[in-house]
Amino acid sequence: MAVRTIDVRERVMARNDAIAAQVRERLRAAHVPAFNLVSSPGAGKTLLLERTLADLGRELSIAVVTGDVQTQNDADRLARHTDRLVQAVVTNGACHLDARQILTALDSIDLESTDLLFIENVGNLVCPAGWDLGEDAKIVLFSVTEGEDKPVKYPKLFQQASTVVFTKLDLLSHVPFRMEQAVRFARQVNPDLKILSTSALAPGGMDQWYQFVRAHARRPVLR
Amino acid sequence: MHELGVALEVCRMTEARLGADGVAAVRAIGLEVGDEAGVEVGNLQFCLEALLAEPPFAGARPVILRRAGDVLRLAFLEVDDGCTND
Repeated sequence: MAVRTIDVRERVMARNDAIAAQVRERLRAAHVPAFNLVSSPGAGKTLLLERTLADLGRELSIAVVTGDVQTQNDADRLARHTDRLVQAVVTNGACHLDARQILTALDSIDLESTDLLFIENVGNLVCPAGWDLGEDAKIVLFSVTEGEDKPVKYPKLFQQASTVVFTKLDLLSHVPFRMEQAVRFARQVNPDLKILSTSALAPGGMDQWYQFVRAHARRPVLR
Repeated sequence: MHELGVALEVCRMTEARLGADGVAAVRAIGLEVGDEAGVEVGNLQFCLEALLAEPPFAGARPVILRRAGDVLRLAFLEVDDGCTND
């Protein structure tokens, strides 16, 4: 027998990245900005989107693809706040969304009438960093009930993100979370991070986020 | 558990390569895995061993080469052409 070695040197993520490029091309052709929301489980991704759909749904046409390991609970919660179909992806055990799932979901979204697309990833600060979904930017939600050192523990995701959204600010006086320290850690791994603070339960707690959303939606907002 | 997804993709890439090269069998699959690749190496090894126990890979062994950074790459295939060396 003749045993030989074939030099391959091919990236394992090459196929996912090629599909992500297709997603990006479709979204850009339709001028639809897309944000990939990532966080640890329970940071408040779904509640942030619930409030966003409820409060901005009349002025902006927002599409959502939401991923969960099991159940469509998040999609059901979001569907109560929008007339648009929420695309639910059940990953059946996988710890992240991949580009193929987003490309499939786009087939059911009317991009022509969409001002903004949110992708709610599976709650996980590790795996989503490895999978490009074709989004314009990743947004990390960072709850004040977590440790301040999340950015240095999970640097890859914070390095890739454009924005950090602190959540549950209404709990800040009840937890030992030091905001300045958390911001310092975040800037340490990514000095360019835009930082927003939110509370989905406090009056005016979503103002910074809504300003961000309006600024990034496809159409100028008429009010 | 995305190591299983990574392992499945490695198998798909290997099959595609073997089909293109027309080789009889694969003996080893070499993977470069960076420390920051977001992959748990022991888990990936386990998944690869399970998948490589089945045809068309039966007998192939995974060779994981640790690297710095976030590289995750199919580095080489050790294959058997199925003919004798003259």
